[in-house]
Amino acid sequence: MKLIILGLITGILFGFLLQKARVIRYDKQLGALRLIDMTIIKFMFSAVLVSMVGVYLLYDLGLVELSIKTTILGTNIVGGLLFGIGWGMLGYCPGTSLGAVGEGRFDALWGILGMIVGAGIFAEFYPALQNTVYTWGDLGKITLADVLGINHWIIIILFIIAGLLLFRWFEKKGL
Amino acid sequence: MHDEKAWSPYLAGALSGIVLVLSVWIAGQYFGASTSFVRMSGMIQNLVAPERVAQMEYYIQVAPRIDWQWMFVIGILLGSFIAAKTSGTFRKQWVPDMWQEKFGLTTVKRSVMAFFGGVILMFGARMADG
Repeated sequence: MKLIILGLITGILFGFLLQKARVIRYDKQLGALRLIDMTIIKFMFSAVLVSMVGVYLLYDLGLVELSIKTTILGTNIVGGLLFGIGWGMLGYCPGTSLGAVGEGRFDALWGILGMIVGAGIFAEFYPALQNTVYTWGDLGKITLADVLGINHWIIIILFIIAGLLLFRWFEKKGL
Repeated sequence: MHDEKAWSPYLAGALSGIVLVLSVWIAGQYFGASTSFVRMSGMIQNLVAPERVAQMEYYIQVAPRIDWQWMFVIGILLGSFIAAKTSGTFRKQWVPDMWQEKFGLTTVKRSVMAFFGGVILMFGARMADG
């Protein structure tokens, strides 16, 4: 019960920030895909950089656990390509579609309906996919730091530098 | 078209990062949304064919029930609504501006594209475990 309420509060905070930064709009999402407006990339990368530092700090202190997803080349690549095609058509991603409805962009409702149907179709195909695409290049639960055999803070610092350079370039280009 | 009420995406993004870190710390929950669409799909199918849903492997792994993430997704809608209403940026719209500039006020076309985009997107998102 407590988790349910925490989920709602966390979602309200996140939805509020998403709307304030205007990142849940079709125009912003398509703007990024068309490489003319990098607002959502700025938002996402800022969130990633801050949470990277925070989560790993807490992890090193033994206060939190990581949630590392399995890397399977087959499902990651095929799924990623399908996601990209669908995202370009819809112009909202799963989380932001709800935020878009919240600010009155009701075309997202069709997308939400489509996503529920898409989830249902996936559930039908799941057993068949397990024998095929799920077996192509299963690398397990890996991280960059593990693969390279270096401390995770080196990766984090490199990401921060890359992120800041990217931001500077965006601002220079007016993207 | 400069939007003067908008917050800097860097600031709002960084604040979202802090919210995520607190969420992981307090609730042990990372952000995600697409699993909730699976739960929702299972819940709807449960209304007509609960025996079938109970036997499907994917719905055994992702049970059709309300959990932290499901409420998080509902929260996004509420949070966005609060921010939009309090800043006067709520705008009822069935066709986005950019779409309208390119294709005109083609509501049916936009709706069909959004629906099928959603289907493909979610199939891919679930496959990639996103």
